[in-house]
Amino acid sequence: MGMGMLLWLAGCGGTQAEAPADPPRAGGDTTIDDRTSRAFAQAAPNLTGEHAALHRDGDAAFAAVFVPGPAPVNPGLGPAYNNTSCNGCHLRNGRGMPVMGGGPTRTQLLVRVSLPDGTPEHPNGAVPVPGLGLQIQDQAVYGASPEATVTLAWEERSGTYADGTAYGLRSPRITIVMPDGSSPPAGMLTSLRLPPPVVGLGLLEAVDVATLRALEDPTDANGDGISGRLNTVWDVQKRALTPGRFGWKANSPNLRQQSAEAYFNDMGISNPLFPEADGSAELPEATLNAAVFYAQSLGVPARTALTDAAVKRGETKFKDLGCVACHRDTLETGEHPVAELSRQRIHPYTDLLLHDMGAGLADGRPDGDATGSEWRTAPLWGLGLTQTVLPYSGYLHDGRARTLEEAVLWHGGEAERARDGFRKLSSSDRDALVRFLQSL
Amino acid sequence: MSSRSLKLSLLVGGALLMGACGDDDGTDLDSLDQQLVVNFADAVVVPTYNLLATRMVELDAAAQALRNAPSATTLKAAQDAWFAARVPWEQSEAFLFGPVDSYGWDPAMDSWPVNRTDLDAVLNNNDTLSQQYVSQLQETQKGYHTTEYLLFGEGQAKKPQDFNARQFEYLLALTAELKAVSANLASSWTTGVNGQAPYRDTLAKAGEAGNNVYPTVEAGAQEMLGGVLSILDEVANGKIADPYDAKDPNLVESQFALNSLSDFTNNIRSVENVYLGHRPESAATGLSMSDVIQERDAALDTRVKAEIAAAIAALGKVPEPFPVSIKDPASADEIEAAQAAIRKLHDTFQVDVKAVILP
Repeated sequence: MGMGMLLWLAGCGGTQAEAPADPPRAGGDTTIDDRTSRAFAQAAPNLTGEHAALHRDGDAAFAAVFVPGPAPVNPGLGPAYNNTSCNGCHLRNGRGMPVMGGGPTRTQLLVRVSLPDGTPEHPNGAVPVPGLGLQIQDQAVYGASPEATVTLAWEERSGTYADGTAYGLRSPRITIVMPDGSSPPAGMLTSLRLPPPVVGLGLLEAVDVATLRALEDPTDANGDGISGRLNTVWDVQKRALTPGRFGWKANSPNLRQQSAEAYFNDMGISNPLFPEADGSAELPEATLNAAVFYAQSLGVPARTALTDAAVKRGETKFKDLGCVACHRDTLETGEHPVAELSRQRIHPYTDLLLHDMGAGLADGRPDGDATGSEWRTAPLWGLGLTQTVLPYSGYLHDGRARTLEEAVLWHGGEAERARDGFRKLSSSDRDALVRFLQSL
Repeated sequence: MSSRSLKLSLLVGGALLMGACGDDDGTDLDSLDQQLVVNFADAVVVPTYNLLATRMVELDAAAQALRNAPSATTLKAAQDAWFAARVPWEQSEAFLFGPVDSYGWDPAMDSWPVNRTDLDAVLNNNDTLSQQYVSQLQETQKGYHTTEYLLFGEGQAKKPQDFNARQFEYLLALTAELKAVSANLASSWTTGVNGQAPYRDTLAKAGEAGNNVYPTVEAGAQEMLGGVLSILDEVANGKIADPYDAKDPNLVESQFALNSLSDFTNNIRSVENVYLGHRPESAATGLSMSDVIQERDAALDTRVKAEIAAAIAALGKVPEPFPVSIKDPASADEIEAAQAAIRKLHDTFQVDVKAVILP
């Protein structure tokens, strides 16, 4: 039974009129009422018995720590890798920490790389870098060499709001050194990536392509300064180009491929989608299936503080500033093989489309149809739980933003008008907008 | 169903809506008493992590004594120090939130399985094994379980004469690293690390303005309850069920020291400490979950305490060693009875305790 539904029965004489008739449930029937560090790690409450069991298998798969083979338990790591388990990057199924290197504070950031010219591995793909591929695996099992060493430094700069209040922003500077001490190829494109939260992915997968196509406006025909288009990426199972929707640049078409890519690239584990040269796979099909299902079937935390005046004011500002043009608050899912995800009214605050976010956020590394300055609108559901799930984590694609204010301030390009609107708000209205974001 | 007074039901129910009852400043006079999370932080979490840091210092000292004078006595003392260091960690698993994951300290201390391939490779190389060296290794080459493997060997067969200088070098680097990591973990709660505020304050100040982690006391209480539910579920349906269902001793944690049942019991003790609001070596001082339940439903409080005791008793009846028992049909009833007792406690927290604490 959901706490959210109870709230309206809690009996606050005289305030019933303020209560919305239909409190928004972030993930439809998959919504949970949990505002704790485990809010991203709960099964959707509407899972049937068989699916609940599969979800539990997936939970174990997500937590499983891999070691180099031969080993009796979880063999197949490496030789080079970024991390040793799904949860090693997606801590408590949330983000990672914006750090690089070894030691107890493990690398959770990773660096995608490619060459500006050359032959991609498949249509619309990026061009691999000799010795690095498309992602730098900066860790290695004993006796193997990491592909490169990556160090991270932050560059600070300052700005001011219209009311004179100062703020600081930081952006990452990475240094890549090849194993022999040399520099990577001149002109190599790089993109630093923070693991995103895992909740709600199944619902986003269940939104019909037609629904998203209807939101596209590639030529800005309506003149609102915002375009938006689906990425087009290679589906390794269909061996065809298909719309992309997962990842910071929407470069993965579905959760099965996204998960298999993570096993293969992030952990160095071959699997049914990315097998060894002889066709074998280190990861059993059943484990991949369970991990994919787990990512599809997590519960989405309900919003909190729905009736808080500042939150309500912040929500109004969010709409007035135009944030909702991309961070769409409501979508409907279509039919999905996982029945529990089908035909749900959800509140993800995304359109899953690519938008030009300006030079400040640009990584300069095209990915599929996405240009070097385009990013997929990030879903905002669960955003307010970021510091609860993982204290000291960061926001945006590389974790550069330490606070939600900083995340807003980095918006440029199609979001510049909204960002400038935020900079002109009074301190109280800025706080209200952040309070709204914290309630998600 | 528990019977609560109508008054309490209304007051606490209203508390979940920040400002739901007309005051728009985000506070509610009738919310759960903040002392619940203050006491939890100060009397349960912080002392548990402090004890962990102390026990790691003692483990490191015992490992040094073993290296300096290998004997049956010093080996047993080092093994006992490992057992003792394991206790506060397992007793912290009902509250695995906060900095323990942010800084990678959980995996740095408690990763499993042991990476035998790379462990053997390190033992056979010529690198100097310092704490810093070990710190950079994969989590599966360090921490409790790698230390356990070196101290106990397969099937607890390790003898003092089995150690060579290289194993001692690795062992001491491991215990030094455990000492450093656990000290950092304790500091992150008490004084703060990396320029961050003490996490004790983050939790204890639940419900105060500007707290983006626990904006309400209820969120802090939900964190307490969630941690309890999470570990009870994990012990019954993961730590016991995974090896038992598969009849696979390789899936048993703490398999070298044969400490699994003790680990499980200390996980239940962790739940007990959270519920009672203090550790066993200290008297109760502040407001506990038990106090809140007792005030609202005394019979439920009695039942929770009885079910905690029953879960611990049921675990005590499972025959040792656990990796053998999981395959022995004669132990099946006891293993399943322990799972049932833990699941019963889980459901009591999930349904009844939650209904009273967070209606």
